[in-house]
Amino acid sequence: MSKHPRYVDTEKCIACGLCAEKCPKKVDDEYNEELSKRKAIYIPYPQAVPQKYAIDSDNCLYLKSGKCRACEKFCPAGAINFEDKPETLSLDVGAIVLSPGFTTFDPTGIRTWGYGEFKNVITSMEMERLLSASGPTEGHLIRPADKKEVKRIAFIQCVGSRDLNKSHNGYCSSVCCTYAIKQAMMAKDHVKDLEASIFFMDMRTHGKEFERYYERAKGLGIDFKRCRVHSLEPVKETEDIYFRYIDDRGKQIETQYDMVVLSVGLCTPPSAMELAYHAGVELNEDRFVEFSSFDPVGTSRPGVFSCGAFSGPKDIPQTVMEASAAAADATRLLRSARNSLTRTREFPPELPIDAEPRIGVFICHCGTNIAGVVDVEKVAEYARTLPNVVHVGRNLFTCSQDTQDTIKNIIKEKGLNRVVVAACTPRTHEPLFRETLKAAGLNEYLFDMANIRNQDSWVHAGQPEMATLKAMDLVRMSVAKVGLLSALPGIAVPVNQTGLVIGGGIAGMVSALELADHGFNVFLVEKSNVLGGQARHLYRTWKGEPVEPALHELDARVRSNPLITLCLDSTVAAAEGFVGNFKSTIVGPKASRVVEHGTAIIATGAQGYVPEGEYLFGSSSRVFTAIEFDKLNMMGDRRMKEAKNYVFIQCVGSRCQERMYCSRVCCTHSVQAALELKEKNPDGEVFILYRDMRTYGRREELYRKAREKGVVFINYEAHQKPVVRAVEPRRMEVEVWDHILHEPLRILTDIVVLATAVIPNPATAELADIYKLPIDADGFLQEAHAKLRPVDFAADGIFMAGLAHCPKPVDEAVAQAKAAAGRAISVLSSTSINLEATKATVVEANCDGCAMCLDVCPYKAISLVSVQGTAGKLNSRVEVNLAQCKGCGVCQATCPKDGIFVAGFSLEQISAQVDAALAG
Amino acid sequence: MSFEPKIIGFTCNWCSYAAADLAGVSRMQYPPNVRLVRVMCSGMVHPKVVARAFEKGADAVLVMG
Amino acid sequence: MEWNMSEQVKGSVLIAGGGIAGMQAALDAANSGFYVYLVERRAAIGGKMAQLDKTFPTNDCAM
Repeated sequence: MSKHPRYVDTEKCIACGLCAEKCPKKVDDEYNEELSKRKAIYIPYPQAVPQKYAIDSDNCLYLKSGKCRACEKFCPAGAINFEDKPETLSLDVGAIVLSPGFTTFDPTGIRTWGYGEFKNVITSMEMERLLSASGPTEGHLIRPADKKEVKRIAFIQCVGSRDLNKSHNGYCSSVCCTYAIKQAMMAKDHVKDLEASIFFMDMRTHGKEFERYYERAKGLGIDFKRCRVHSLEPVKETEDIYFRYIDDRGKQIETQYDMVVLSVGLCTPPSAMELAYHAGVELNEDRFVEFSSFDPVGTSRPGVFSCGAFSGPKDIPQTVMEASAAAADATRLLRSARNSLTRTREFPPELPIDAEPRIGVFICHCGTNIAGVVDVEKVAEYARTLPNVVHVGRNLFTCSQDTQDTIKNIIKEKGLNRVVVAACTPRTHEPLFRETLKAAGLNEYLFDMANIRNQDSWVHAGQPEMATLKAMDLVRMSVAKVGLLSALPGIAVPVNQTGLVIGGGIAGMVSALELADHGFNVFLVEKSNVLGGQARHLYRTWKGEPVEPALHELDARVRSNPLITLCLDSTVAAAEGFVGNFKSTIVGPKASRVVEHGTAIIATGAQGYVPEGEYLFGSSSRVFTAIEFDKLNMMGDRRMKEAKNYVFIQCVGSRCQERMYCSRVCCTHSVQAALELKEKNPDGEVFILYRDMRTYGRREELYRKAREKGVVFINYEAHQKPVVRAVEPRRMEVEVWDHILHEPLRILTDIVVLATAVIPNPATAELADIYKLPIDADGFLQEAHAKLRPVDFAADGIFMAGLAHCPKPVDEAVAQAKAAAGRAISVLSSTSINLEATKATVVEANCDGCAMCLDVCPYKAISLVSVQGTAGKLNSRVEVNLAQCKGCGVCQATCPKDGIFVAGFSLEQISAQVDAALAG
Repeated sequence: MSFEPKIIGFTCNWCSYAAADLAGVSRMQYPPNVRLVRVMCSGMVHPKVVARAFEKGADAVLVMG
Repeated sequence: MEWNMSEQVKGSVLIAGGGIAGMQAALDAANSGFYVYLVERRAAIGGKMAQLDKTFPTNDCAM
């Protein structure tokens, strides 16, 4: 491994920026897609980690021509070191994970789009920077050519994707449809009355919640045009972009836009190809890492794993899942060396707290998320006038690493003993700021957050003045509360190093095996008497790998693993506890048992939608669901053998009012089945009636092959569904509107296959109730964060995998199952865990042992004890079991004598907030 | 001048407070008359606090959980 | 015997690439008791996601 010289000592650099100010050399800033300049000594971006300067040796005047050294002269910390040399390091490691990511397709020089030639044609990556508050235009949507505000914008999809003519990329990049929707939406947010159009072939919003997002975009007036744009031309005087396209009525339209965004695809960068070469890992013809559906983060070389876009274009949640999966797989091999090389983090000792509160208030702009609506300067001015406030600061992004250092320093310099951050929401960011307090030697509970984004700027976007007043109220409330907070000691509880996995489908089996292979005991609970779940109905993956043998192997490995206790015909009927210490009641065929475990993984799968009454399903013996079709076709059913013509109808039960989501797997399945039918009988006719063909990623290859082989694809719209009629005893007529001929098309067919939706398993909702987990609007499990925590719940210690989360193919379910296990392992590998200190506390002077709180405590955390009172009398009072107490405070609301309170939420503290709220 | 009520809302960290956050994520718009107080469970809201809110001038109190 | 085992197997992982994938993998491996070398070509971690303005479908800030 070679380490490039940075020429800046990161130990000494204080990131003051003086060096960059004095550096005479301006360079195109790659972070802003070269739309702005930076210096030759720079920090890549404001939130960069580490927050330390580096010298770009390709552009530094001194390193190039031997003259300058201005940075060295002005650096107050003496951090510049031109003697820095490249180092070659040799590391001895147990395993390797490759995550070099992607680069976007470079459309330069391709005449069709004129990128690089016409200034107002930009790539989506450049658009991303233009929209950003920290970007070159501070989020103002202006054209590169003349800084004119953009009023009409077009997005051209599939630039460098699904295109073997102008690029070498036949695959679909999977993310561009949804990112174009996002950019169009954000652009409309920036420029009122903006006209935005997206020109696409198939709208591929196949991810969780993406379909609803697409509908929302339509509702906002974003114009979606299904067509291929031929070539872009500049309008000489105005530098607008002119082009022609054929609309859905077959008419040629000429149009003009202020700016055109090319939705560029994802490709493997040359540096990553080099990395693959050095690591001895094979890449496929599309230059992605080749993998098996049953080993989605494995590579051709044992001990080397890959995750993210290196193994194919994918979105962030899938990337994050694969990352957790790769960590789990890589460390599985090293489990005997667990904790052999790690160190634990030390925090400085806590400072004593003076009686008088000294409060610091930090107000976040969140780019324009808050500052675009709320007058943050006014809020800051106001905060200064509040009692006990000794410091007020504003930050573009309070969550950035450099701001943490700033807060830490200010706490020390100004002797702050209470901190308020007015920003997004404590539900996502409180842990980060608490760490900062700890690092400054302050107890982490001397902190409060005012929610001025999620519950203010975002919900009152149209009323900036009212939102500003509300922000001031919220800050006042937080300041009032924080002054009353006291330092709370940490609580640690032991972790039961056993895992529980619910659901014995592919995801559940893979999770259980991963945990067991890491050396942990696992209970695997399956409702039916067999393992395999929905995968038992599948006969091959999209890559053509047979499913059954893989399933058999998993089944055998689960049954023979001594660490896995398999509970078939069993369900979980009740559960209690918290991370590290759960107790679940498993009801089996003969008896029920209570098992203790530290983590749980919910992998309860999904079901197929039954299209009763739709398209003659149920009344014709020749209309099947895709799963029925596969089975009969494989068994050589007479109806299939005799058939010549087949019609596949897509989106049956998906992407409709009742189920506003895409089932993700059906397009690929139909294309694969059609291709096989066509290969078997080239004279037969196979039709696929679809709304948007969603063969995302490298599945696009199947779609291209199917078209080559003569499978006929006909697009239909949701309001004009195909109609199936029985016309002859064994044949049906399918009528669909033909968008090319502009007349109804009638197809005579022997077989109709319905690509039916994946729907949630009702058992998932029951379990969610037992473990108090959230379910989304479609009935699937709700993850803690759509992008960054795709296998976690908001509640610690419980994770999800497979179809219970949302529809997905085998490879993605396996990746998520390994990820869920990996996340569970990060809990199970410690023997103890630190708990929130927000717990019920007994006020001994007030508690007279009336025990009313005992009955109402939902966690049975309170017990009655006798204590030696005055004059030799025995007194009763209550006692709280801190591990069982959840800090819900029902006891506090029930106690008639103020004898018990929840630390951080006492009556006094809540009352102070109420008073402050109404004092404005 | 139309009447603008002052509303105090007690919201549970695990459900209604999270829902209020989600309303923001979904960019739902609502009148800015409510001030939310985050609690760890709606069950911890003592009747005394509700009475106090009215005493201090709240026109309405919401307890959500 | 146990000591010999850990002599053979190194309790460390090298992660090449400090984007969102590499960062998550590093966090998980480290939290599971393994020493991580996170290697990034550029002067800061964050990768492509750090260049994104918002993320779909929640329009949350990518930072």
